[in-house]
Amino acid sequence: MSTQIWLGLLSGIAFGFVIQRAGATNADKMARAHLMIEADIPRFMLLAVVLSAIGLVGLQASGVGRTLIIPTSLAATGIAGVLFGIGWGLCGYCPGTTWAAAGEGRMDAIFALLGGLAGTAVFAQVHEILIPLLHAPTNMGQITLADWFGSPTIAAAVLVVVFGVSIWGIGVLWEKNGHGAVR
Amino acid sequence: MQKNQLSASYWKWVPAAFALAGIILFVFATFGPPASSSGFVAALKGAIEPLAPGYVESKAHYRMSAGPGAWVFAFVLGMAIGGFLAARTFSIPVRDIPEIWEKRFGNSRIKRYAATFAGGFIILFASRLAGGCTLGLFISGSTQLAVSGLYFGVLIFAFAMLTARFVYGKAGKEEK
Repeated sequence: MSTQIWLGLLSGIAFGFVIQRAGATNADKMARAHLMIEADIPRFMLLAVVLSAIGLVGLQASGVGRTLIIPTSLAATGIAGVLFGIGWGLCGYCPGTTWAAAGEGRMDAIFALLGGLAGTAVFAQVHEILIPLLHAPTNMGQITLADWFGSPTIAAAVLVVVFGVSIWGIGVLWEKNGHGAVR
Repeated sequence: MQKNQLSASYWKWVPAAFALAGIILFVFATFGPPASSSGFVAALKGAIEPLAPGYVESKAHYRMSAGPGAWVFAFVLGMAIGGFLAARTFSIPVRDIPEIWEKRFGNSRIKRYAATFAGGFIILFASRLAGGCTLGLFISGSTQLAVSGLYFGVLIFAFAMLTARFVYGKAGKEEK
């Protein structure tokens, strides 16, 4: 138990440090990413997924680590995605970055964190109503691309290609729209 | 001196992604899929339980959550410490109101804090409905090839981009 706490703390410190250095805790840079002016943060996020997905194939081959697939609910995941996007576009923070940005000393992030605690409390209160209403009826289970493509290796390759093309596309489109990713 | 100044500015996205992926894989190896919105639930559970143990016991969302003495809360606390350390060794000072927001809405702190409070409320409410956030669902899920993470990812990027256009309007265009 206490080993887990130290591991969590250590991982969090490293994670918070890196996302600050990548600019992801800066709501100004996040807004400019959403407005298609700066391409760095979305490319950083997508490349991190590509590299992690490749690394995870290696971890699993050597039998190390633990995975957990979150179920796909057509309605609940979809509605949550739309709402989350609206909140993210409005404040420029996501749940993880609020902690790191609050640690930086950004007052607006401290208010985002407080709002997040309030949103969590309200959801916990209505969990028993919303989960049976929105999540359960359209729950498709713990599906992955490996189920669709029949093989984890092919599925991982498809993910790498699609994300790779997206990273390239973001570079081109954001560059065309803004005046370059780096100023 | 010169070297110090270089290390204290934003990293390029490719090396930053390698660093983040290294941490993500370390977390998969030593804990499981990284997540941060569950840290909010653990924090609240720890805050409410001593005051109203009966309420926490009666709510499924707190019953299924870890308490504050577990990995998820240690992780988000660590993120705050990491952010603190990163900002203390950084060349660009932190701001309470982002530049682009100030250009659009002026320097009213109340307006900005009200907006981030509302935004924070929405993203956490949504994350708890979906079962994860940008990290716990999109990044962790997509890394594991989960359809839920990819579906959520497409929607959050699309709607954040639409919302930012609506929020910043002309100010966003002038930024270019």
